[in-house]
Amino acid sequence: MFIEYTWLVPLIPVLCFVLVGFFGNKMHQGGGYLAIAGAAFACVMSVLISVEFFTSTAYADPGYVTESMKWFELPGGFVLNVGYYIDTLACLMMMFASFISTLIFVYSLGYMHDQGVKKRRYFAEVSLFLTGMLGLAVSSSFLTMFIFWEIMGLCSYLLIGFWGFNHPEGDDKADNAASAAKKAFLVTRLGDVSLMAGLFVMLYAFQSLDYVTIFDASAIAAVDPNMIILASLLIFGGAIGKSAQFPLLDWLPDAMAGPTTVSALIHAATMVKAGVYLVARCYPLFCQCSSVMLFVAVIGGVTAFFAATMAMNNMNIKKVLAYSTLSQLGYMFLALGTGGYLIAIGLETGNTALIVAGSAAYTAGCLHMVNHAFFKALLFLCSGSVIHSTGTEDMREMGGLGKKMKVTSITMLIGSLSIAGFPFFAGFWSKDLILESVMHAADFGSSGFVLMILWVLGIVTAFMTAFYMFRMWYMTFAGTEGHATAHCHGESPKSMTAPLMILSVFAFAFGFVILFGFDGLLSVEVVGGQFRVGGGHVEGFEWAVEIFTNVWTYVTIVLVLVAIGIAKLMYDKKTINPGKFNKNGTSWLYNALTKRWWFPDLYNQISWKLGYGVARGVDFVDRNIIDGTVNGLSNAVVGGGDVLSKAQTGNVRNYATIVLLGIVALFAVILALFYFMGGA
Amino acid sequence: MIPIEFFLAFAAILFAIGAYGVVTKSNTIVVLMCIELMLNAANINFVTFAAFTGDVLGQVFVIMTISVAAAEVAVGIAILLNAYKIRKTIESDSLTSMRW
Repeated sequence: MFIEYTWLVPLIPVLCFVLVGFFGNKMHQGGGYLAIAGAAFACVMSVLISVEFFTSTAYADPGYVTESMKWFELPGGFVLNVGYYIDTLACLMMMFASFISTLIFVYSLGYMHDQGVKKRRYFAEVSLFLTGMLGLAVSSSFLTMFIFWEIMGLCSYLLIGFWGFNHPEGDDKADNAASAAKKAFLVTRLGDVSLMAGLFVMLYAFQSLDYVTIFDASAIAAVDPNMIILASLLIFGGAIGKSAQFPLLDWLPDAMAGPTTVSALIHAATMVKAGVYLVARCYPLFCQCSSVMLFVAVIGGVTAFFAATMAMNNMNIKKVLAYSTLSQLGYMFLALGTGGYLIAIGLETGNTALIVAGSAAYTAGCLHMVNHAFFKALLFLCSGSVIHSTGTEDMREMGGLGKKMKVTSITMLIGSLSIAGFPFFAGFWSKDLILESVMHAADFGSSGFVLMILWVLGIVTAFMTAFYMFRMWYMTFAGTEGHATAHCHGESPKSMTAPLMILSVFAFAFGFVILFGFDGLLSVEVVGGQFRVGGGHVEGFEWAVEIFTNVWTYVTIVLVLVAIGIAKLMYDKKTINPGKFNKNGTSWLYNALTKRWWFPDLYNQISWKLGYGVARGVDFVDRNIIDGTVNGLSNAVVGGGDVLSKAQTGNVRNYATIVLLGIVALFAVILALFYFMGGA
Repeated sequence: MIPIEFFLAFAAILFAIGAYGVVTKSNTIVVLMCIELMLNAANINFVTFAAFTGDVLGQVFVIMTISVAAAEVAVGIAILLNAYKIRKTIESDSLTSMRW
């Protein structure tokens, strides 16, 4: 009933983009209301579609519904289709992306109220951004998915560089918005190239880019496994770029140069979630090889750890959140990688218990994706509220804001508790499920020890997460008043606080969905080699039992509480001086963290040494070989003509002489011919 | 009867003298005269072969050549007169402006 109209979900926001883009200045709020209406429509529509999909029994088998039409055909019989593909994963993505975007757009009315005519550009671009994410979620083929993927890349560039013109200098020169936008665009481009190569490999291997064809068990079985591994790795390269995983993680902190609402959009609803979605979507491919999935898990685990370390001593409220996003995305990849690792081994050995365990890890990863969307949107919007009120992003100048901004401080506390994994908050369920799955997986396969290491990294990351989030919270809202606090504008307007309150409800409660029968919607099933998103529902309070009977859960909880306690002592009570641990900011480790483990320097070195070297080589070839050939030819012709023109003396007698000599020579030749050929 | 070789040798010598004059003389009038010599060498050949083969066509051709040569001399002299008016000389070494 509604599913046939799925195409409206990305279409309405793109119409808003066109209308706001052209006529925004004639509308109220630069077209903000229209953008909100578009997002709200998409949200309502996706909820209706999802309800229809979940309740109708018609779609239970094969677990998806798709419809597509031919778009164009390539020579060689490659037919490329455009259409929609709805399964529970797509429903989930649509719902949370459009819902959170709607709230962020509402919040933008307050946050961007002083931007004047630039609001038109802002609301047009965020609408297009939402289109990208929704289109990506409902696409029925890799090609259309890739197009929406690129639309998001473009929008992230435009929005990160939103203040590129009137903020030429950021915190430091490399931090300004235009450079950050350029960096985000170029670094994600690396991943996009890899993804595109993956698409070519798949087109070659499967003769099609439709999800239905590629994810079909018999089609996968018919294709050379090496091609699948190659395609998986290349696709994962795209996910690394988009989701800012190690080693392409450095663009995301710089992307903080954009407006805070854009950061919230990028981190919670769109963009970085696309990479996680892609891996979850390509599970049937990725699970063909356990090593690929192990690689995914390793990248995720390493990113989770490194990003968390960098958040430990950052003084910028938004950057702390940016690193925490990286870290949480790492958790998601860790979960998906672990799940796939288990499923791959289960498929190899025929062990169904392992497949069920892998499915649990997948559930944990997807749940964390949604949870993270809620609490990270909440945290960013809270930080935006703080920045809006105080006019600074430096946490050292804040402090004691709790009394002046009650709603913001309480909602941000909820978000922080959720991301830290405080018991019963949303983040707690997913994070502990992830850690438990990783530890469980460490017992299987020949590479299990790697997962054991990743589990340790995950536990340490959980500790660090709780510490830096509460460091941030205490530095901002508790303790003595900083001088920015003294002249802040007080609590933000209603249009900003209302989305905070709505989001905080979800950030607290969303984790409970897995307890009340909705876990099946987040899971993956393998029926006779055929992957099926959804299904695999575990009855009753199995998940709660699973979590609370695991002794390590309590260890994690204790670590989180200890971390919160340390943060309180350091930044609220000030009984422990944090400077003691880093020689007042001069220790090697402190330096390494502020320098982001030298990642920006590494990028610069690579781009200067390699990029500039290659560019110089190309320049040399262009100037000297290609241009040289052309110029040399023309010079030879001109010079030769110049030299030969000297033969034209203009003196009649010379010409006559040459004619005469020519005749004589001709005559001699003819005579010689007659003589030697024996002619008459 | 005088053998044919004598006539042919005479014509060849005449042609060679003409050619030598064209190449070496700088006075354009002399060059023109030398060209006439070369033409007449050819005429002698025509007449000779006509006489020795008994074919009258060669003699007809000579009449033709003489009339064309007369016209040619008229054109040549006219050019030289104009060249002299412009450059005050008819030395071929000086009339070299038609070049690169």
